Amino acid sequence: MSIQVEQISKTYGSFTALDDVSLTIDGGELVALLGPSGSGKTTLLRMIAGLEAPDSGSILLHGEEATEQSASKRGIGFVFQHYALFRHMTIWENIAFGLRVQARRLRPSRKEIRERVQELLHLVQLDSYAGMYPEQLSGGQRQRVALARALAVRPNVLLLDEPFSALDAKVRKDLRDWLRRIHDELHVTTVLVTHDQEEALEVADRVAILNQGKLEQIGTPQSIYDNPASPFVYNFLGNVNLFHGRLLADLSSQVHGGGTKESAQSAIGFVRPHELEVSRDLPPDNKAVVATVERIHAAGPQIRLELSIAGNGKPVTAELSRKQFEELALVTGDELFVWPQSMRLFDDPKAEALLLDQGAGI
Amino acid sequence: MSVGQTISSSAMLRPSTAQKAGRVALILLALLLLAGFLVLPVIAVFTQALSQGWKMYRDSIHQEDVLSALRLTGLVACIAVPLNVAFGIAASWAITRFEFHGKNLLITLIDIPLAVSPVVAGLMYVEVFGLHGWLGPWLSEHNLHVIFAVPGIVLATVFVTFPFVARELIPFMQAQGSDEEVAAVVLGANGWSVFWRITLPNIKWALLYGTILAASRSIGEFGAVSVVSGHIRGQTTTLPLQVEMLYNEYNFTAAFAAASLLTLAAIVTLILKKIIEVTSGVHRHVDEEEVQS
Repeated sequence: MSIQVEQISKTYGSFTALDDVSLTIDGGELVALLGPSGSGKTTLLRMIAGLEAPDSGSILLHGEEATEQSASKRGIGFVFQHYALFRHMTIWENIAFGLRVQARRLRPSRKEIRERVQELLHLVQLDSYAGMYPEQLSGGQRQRVALARALAVRPNVLLLDEPFSALDAKVRKDLRDWLRRIHDELHVTTVLVTHDQEEALEVADRVAILNQGKLEQIGTPQSIYDNPASPFVYNFLGNVNLFHGRLLADLSSQVHGGGTKESAQSAIGFVRPHELEVSRDLPPDNKAVVATVERIHAAGPQIRLELSIAGNGKPVTAELSRKQFEELALVTGDELFVWPQSMRLFDDPKAEALLLDQGAGI
Repeated sequence: MSVGQTISSSAMLRPSTAQKAGRVALILLALLLLAGFLVLPVIAVFTQALSQGWKMYRDSIHQEDVLSALRLTGLVACIAVPLNVAFGIAASWAITRFEFHGKNLLITLIDIPLAVSPVVAGLMYVEVFGLHGWLGPWLSEHNLHVIFAVPGIVLATVFVTFPFVARELIPFMQAQGSDEEVAAVVLGANGWSVFWRITLPNIKWALLYGTILAASRSIGEFGAVSVVSGHIRGQTTTLPLQVEMLYNEYNFTAAFAAASLLTLAAIVTLILKKIIEVTSGVHRHVDEEEVQS
């Protein structure tokens, strides 16, 4: 079932939670709403569920106006950050709840309910836990029960509000992969709220990035990673090095952010750590800066270097392969030549003329 | 640093002789005060009540006036407590689950009976419902008796016991949050289903706890009831008033016999309260709350 969000706005007192947000989620899709806390992502999710009402704008479910429809009538499965399992009910009763509270004429027979609960217990791999109470289960198991409970009523839409953020890293990773497999099996339209960019990029078909109540960008994980539409998105999607500078040549055609030529005189350049080249020798075009190795993080598949560049306030981060690291035989304190393979330029509205990074040609 | 920590933590574990002595002295002092101010008086009530033997004790209680006072006290509690339970649940539900204007005012209003002297509460009702009060003439025209009659006693009792259930439930429901109820709504449950299947089972122990406190207070209330009752023997006298009347008539054995019934009620309340604390874990939340405040 598709979800259309049209020009939704919501304020709480002087705080703007959502500001004219529109987006469409296709049937069977898994979309992640990604943003920092206070970005409005949870508010948007609760509006789709019918737990909050927008000040203006509308929500359409399967093409039909649903803004005024009550939460209990929307046919939605909702998974909460802190599970919200019914603590006085067994796991079996928790999963059966949505079926048992249905109006008599719609309610499945006892036998059907039993079969459905059994099926779901099997789906979430908790067959032997039916008679236990939520407090006897681990966090990961509880969240699987919560998912089974939400799926029991065969919802048209599955909404998950930071479902894995209360779990530890290993369990979080497992559940994330498992959620994706379940989604591929059931094809329920799913919206996942998260502040974890890795989670969003890994699990979702498309990612919508929210910031301060506004939709910054929506697209497939690869497209938003490769082509961030704003400095915010660039920053939010993982480690990045920032260079402020003045344009030496006329590069305004390459500058994102739609600034005039004049304001594009100064710009911010973004370079991801793996896009920084390091070498002991000056590159042939002589465009590089000298940097000192401050720290080496050698645990992991990639070696991460913290480098200080004279005149640049913050240290920059570079990533290189283990092989290259061994070839360079680096130790802390070494001096290197550093230059970016590529750099994405954004208009710098503050026009801070800080550092000239010759290597980038700006 | 770590050495210092080790020393101080072992000092915590193994107190010096002086510390031990101080600790024992403090505990003894507390026990002594407890014995002097609580245990002895309770024993005194029962010794006085039984000072002229079991037969006299039974006869004192079997007086028509005492029995009627006992019945009235029971009746008042049976009306006041359910009203308080209904009000307490409604108020806590509203306060913890919804945002509305005047919420803080409502919270303050719930506490008024705790702040106001019960005598003042009684006088307020006299002022409103008494013969010369605001509604007095209208009431007497319609032959309705509130003051110096049972309805007045019920009203006064409801007033003083107003906060007990609500004050027990509000912090408890706040701590629990509304996630489970929201989850039930999203799963398609209607308001009644949510209340009976989710809210009530979750708050049942705290509710029972508050109910017992309210019941105990409504049985023992003296001040407010005294003002509105009129002390009509066998008609508007509750057990606490009966105790006072017997005492003022120098009928000490009977007074203490009646008082022993109230004391027994209090002891039963304490035992029930303890049982609930142990079986439900409500006490844990009460302790935390006290620590915080």
